[in-house]
Amino acid sequence: MKDDGQDKGATTRRRFLKRAVAGLSGVAVVVFTRDVAWISAGAVKGEGGNRTSALKYDPTGHRYVFLMDITRCIGCGSCVRACERENNVPRDFFRTWIERYMVSSSGTALIDSPGGGRDGFEPRVTGENITKAFFVPKLCNHCTLTPCVQLCPVGASYRSPDGVILVDEKRCIGCSYCVQACPYGSRFIHPETHTASKCTMCYHRITRGLENACVQACPTGARRFGDTMKLGDEVSEIVARSAVHLLKPELRTEPNCLYMGLSKEVR
Amino acid sequence: MEHTKHLWRAASILLVLGAAGIITRHFLIPVSFGKNGFYRANSLDDHRSQPIAHGGSSSCKKCHEEEFKTIHEGKHASVQCEVCHGPLEAHVRGGEKWADMPVNQSHEMCAYCHQKLVARPQAVSQVRIPEHLFEKEAVAPGAEIPEGVCNECHEAHDPSQD
Repeated sequence: MKDDGQDKGATTRRRFLKRAVAGLSGVAVVVFTRDVAWISAGAVKGEGGNRTSALKYDPTGHRYVFLMDITRCIGCGSCVRACERENNVPRDFFRTWIERYMVSSSGTALIDSPGGGRDGFEPRVTGENITKAFFVPKLCNHCTLTPCVQLCPVGASYRSPDGVILVDEKRCIGCSYCVQACPYGSRFIHPETHTASKCTMCYHRITRGLENACVQACPTGARRFGDTMKLGDEVSEIVARSAVHLLKPELRTEPNCLYMGLSKEVR
Repeated sequence: MEHTKHLWRAASILLVLGAAGIITRHFLIPVSFGKNGFYRANSLDDHRSQPIAHGGSSSCKKCHEEEFKTIHEGKHASVQCEVCHGPLEAHVRGGEKWADMPVNQSHEMCAYCHQKLVARPQAVSQVRIPEHLFEKEAVAPGAEIPEGVCNECHEAHDPSQD
């Protein structure tokens, strides 16, 4: 015959364990809902991913493009300096830069970009008969079919719904695959954060209805910015009616940075 | 039904592994990852939260109406204040002035746009610097070019081509 006290103690322990297990599974169900949901639905349908809409900006309602007019660029470097200040770009790294092309009568192109054009350009003595010369502002082409996003192993590089190629600094592991993959040389590894860095189209500005820092700084209108999903957009009108070219179209990356007055020497 | 307990053992091991998988996944994959694609959707908000440095000339106009008017009626109408002066953020924060706006009167600043270059479109007025300064007897050849030398003849806010 069992002792009363022992019996009572055993029951309490069992009851306690049962309740503990039930309580913990309850908590686990709440905490791990999104994980379980992912397993059953095959995709994450988590909450907390809706912060964007809370800030009253719908990225699916925009599709941005840059339009560069080579004939208007005076090579002043205002865009490079504005970009540097707006985005705290480290010295000697560039999210945008200007290249100078000087084509001689023999057909050779002399290309330079001292300091990315940040401190302007000095006259250059070439000793050749220069038949045409011009400046080409460059930056990330925000390609629709971009190689940099395709090969990012951790999902840190991505194309946003509004067509901007961005880097998630919190996920980037700094492997620099994307830096090597970019055919336009528009990415670099930030010397302090050791993550990939690049032009964001001034995402913090355009999503608030402001102009990009480089476009705003351009004194000649050589840089323009448009939204192809906006009705009556000026840049879209130009793109629809005039000759616009792409950089390295043979790569079929479908850039969203369009050029007017582009010469065949530009690479 | 002699071996039922083996089945139970196997089942409980699978259950524990599954739970461990769910728990690991929970801590490794960020909340919004995969919402829009193979990336963290909340990263868009991280980018949006970056502070704005440049306010544009319209924000300068609020306090410097006269200068704004002068510039916009002159030849420098298309030049934003911040192109020469630097970003608004260096001068105003939270709607209040917190530091003096830097004024750069170096000839290098003018040279950014007005140095004569083969590649520069003819529409922009250009001079050879420093030859232009010698010609106008603003600087003696060989001497150091002083700060503000261009402004002695050209008012930066309303330049003329004389």
